[in-house]
Amino acid sequence: MSEISQLPLSGIRVVDHGHVWAGPLLGMSFRDMGAEVIKIQTPGTSSGVSMAGQGMPGTATEQVDAHDQMNYHTLDRGKKSLTLNLKTPEGKEIYKRLIKLSDVVIENFSSRTMGSLGLAYKVLNELNPRIIMASLSATGSSPGPWKELVSYGPSLSALYGIKSLLGYQDSDQPVEDQADLDPTAAGHAFLAILAALEMREETGVGQHIDMSQGESGIQRIAEPIMDFFFNGRVATTQGNRYPGIVPHGYFKTVGKDQWIALTIRDNEEWRRFRDHFSEVMPKIEEKRFDSLNGRVTHQDDLEAIIENWTKSQDSWALTNRLQGIGIPAYPVMDAPALVGDENLNQLHRSHVDIGTENLDENELFRGIVWKLAVGHGEISDPTPISGQHNDQILQNLLKYNDDEVTNFRQRGII
Amino acid sequence: MELGDFISVGYAGKLLADLGADVIKVEHPKSGDTIRTHGPFPGDIPDKEKSGLHLFLNTNKRSITLNTSEREGRDILLKLIPRVDLIISNMTVTRVEKEGLDYETLSRDNTSLILSSITVFGYDTPYRHWEGSALTATAASGISKKIGDPNKQPLWIPYCAADFQGGIHGAISALLALRMKRKTGLGQHAWVSVIEVMSSYVGGSGGVPAFVYQGNIGSRNGSHRSSFYPWQVVPAKDGYIEVITMIDKQWDRFIEVMNNPEWSKDNRLNNRWESFRWREDLDRFWHPWIKSRTRQELFKIFSENRLPFLPVYRIDEVIESTHLEKRNFWQTVSHPIMGTYKTMGPPYRLSKNPWSIRRPAPLLGQHNGDIYIKSLGMSETSFSTLESKGVI
Repeated sequence: MSEISQLPLSGIRVVDHGHVWAGPLLGMSFRDMGAEVIKIQTPGTSSGVSMAGQGMPGTATEQVDAHDQMNYHTLDRGKKSLTLNLKTPEGKEIYKRLIKLSDVVIENFSSRTMGSLGLAYKVLNELNPRIIMASLSATGSSPGPWKELVSYGPSLSALYGIKSLLGYQDSDQPVEDQADLDPTAAGHAFLAILAALEMREETGVGQHIDMSQGESGIQRIAEPIMDFFFNGRVATTQGNRYPGIVPHGYFKTVGKDQWIALTIRDNEEWRRFRDHFSEVMPKIEEKRFDSLNGRVTHQDDLEAIIENWTKSQDSWALTNRLQGIGIPAYPVMDAPALVGDENLNQLHRSHVDIGTENLDENELFRGIVWKLAVGHGEISDPTPISGQHNDQILQNLLKYNDDEVTNFRQRGII
Repeated sequence: MELGDFISVGYAGKLLADLGADVIKVEHPKSGDTIRTHGPFPGDIPDKEKSGLHLFLNTNKRSITLNTSEREGRDILLKLIPRVDLIISNMTVTRVEKEGLDYETLSRDNTSLILSSITVFGYDTPYRHWEGSALTATAASGISKKIGDPNKQPLWIPYCAADFQGGIHGAISALLALRMKRKTGLGQHAWVSVIEVMSSYVGGSGGVPAFVYQGNIGSRNGSHRSSFYPWQVVPAKDGYIEVITMIDKQWDRFIEVMNNPEWSKDNRLNNRWESFRWREDLDRFWHPWIKSRTRQELFKIFSENRLPFLPVYRIDEVIESTHLEKRNFWQTVSHPIMGTYKTMGPPYRLSKNPWSIRRPAPLLGQHNGDIYIKSLGMSETSFSTLESKGVI
């Protein structure tokens, strides 16, 4: 299934400088939807192993630890690997030849890296006016005190105020996040590049996408930001609560660390909930809970009343009861539960073809989230070994001869 | 055309509208999008035209009102379809079935129509008829079990992050389907599930499989990430700072910055994948050094030494930061009822498609006349009749 001709991005060639998470995930998005993705790695090292780059603890050897296996077979699956020393003149020449034949370049270096290699967008655009380049720096490429900061998603979410909101309402100390700033950046960048490809269909020319991962991450906290603009209120940690919706939280259920998520979005849902459960929780019938204002004022009491009952209930049985009366509820899932989760398994497996013998079809794979009826994505090849496609790319695509390739290899250019 | 309610569809529509699409938002004639009643409001006084989330999410869109649960309303919707390239929707499967607004029906007179749906549970899935919210989607994805204190309840990602993520991927699906249309000439129904989107964010994009492989490594540990050490939120003199060292060089440099203290030779630090086990002891070695300095002092020291540790800023500190001011990030918008106000800037900057707020969020039904009378050719009389019947 390596020849993917009828996928949305088939025919598109991507040069992928991604490292750690946001960049490689963006490359993977292109590959899953049919593009040819060429991952650029530094010769003679294990660099560019996504999420486990050179020098990260535990990756000193070529051997990738078991706990990295899954990421290893996720972020770089199906990509081609080209090793290239971009600091040498010949390395740059090879790279420029590749750029002339490519559509998209993605990089998530610090904002000065491509420029200092002499490979800024302006240079690439002169070689190929159709090239689209997406630069996912931390804080954007224009001047400002935070320019060229070294950061990772979890520290960038601190700098942009996102982390200050994640924690329990009884303490302003944030808890650690799940680094979701990275996939948020990758998603926004994928969308922007798709838009640039659309625009290229009309205009015939490419463009540069300058993205600050902080600025794409901050979009999702528009609500407290608007509140500050309007009312000068500074939002802080708030547990699982959310303005305007009460109850809104995770409630203890029977079993170790078992919880149910419950949202009651309006008074109509509240009445259904009250009428259904008043027998087991008589206190919810109290008048003070009838209106949203009342439920907000007496939120602590209401949560305690509900949890006092749910703690003796099974989370799945209760979920079924609540869904039965049209109220959003679901158990708070963990690893063992997710493996058996019927709905998520259906989602992960749907529209995924594991097409080569290198990938064990009995293994669980991280599926493709965009479900297209026509042109659905495919997981079609495993993660490449560093430099695996050097000969193929240099000879077949870039038309270097055997001797030249051997020479490049001997001199450490590839 | 944007069909649905609240954040996920609104954000998907915004992303497309801000890039130049003419997005027509279809709202219920009486209540409008519930985002209008959600807020935040200036002075906390509810007003359908002044909800902060509405003003953020609906920039560059037009608004029409239409009650699609009435037969007449549904007929009007179907009449509009031949003029539409793309529908972005977060209508639940239940509503789609009840109102007869499935893709087959919608595309009957427009085979190039693209429908991109965002629902919590997905389309061909066992629980597709269940009700969902950003909170329950976050719970169902597995990500929550990795956030928070092990002795307390797990946490969601606040302010409906899951809905925003669903919106991003719904917009992506739409553009992927648009690319397919260039190849086949045909439209299609594409969809995403908010649960799957969130679950794909778990464990460095490994999703459910990463959970299995990582086992207990993936459990929640309050202000620490149970991974290599250190990766945590640390108290400073005047707040908190994030300390994360992905590569050994960074840890070595941090030790140098602290003047090579004797404890740095502790052999529990030899393999930083293992160090997490002794975090309480190890934290005691260097947390006082952090605690005795302000975030600004630390920020300066760490950036001078190219270390990726950054202060936890409050919302006000971010909004008032010189950096975002120098980037001209915040936008000023003029709105007929709000007057002039400030709002969020762009998530990305395209050199040939400058992001701009061409028009503020629309008033409820502001473009009824444009669409129904001018585009669809409805007579003034039937317009008024439909209006008085509450269909539009």
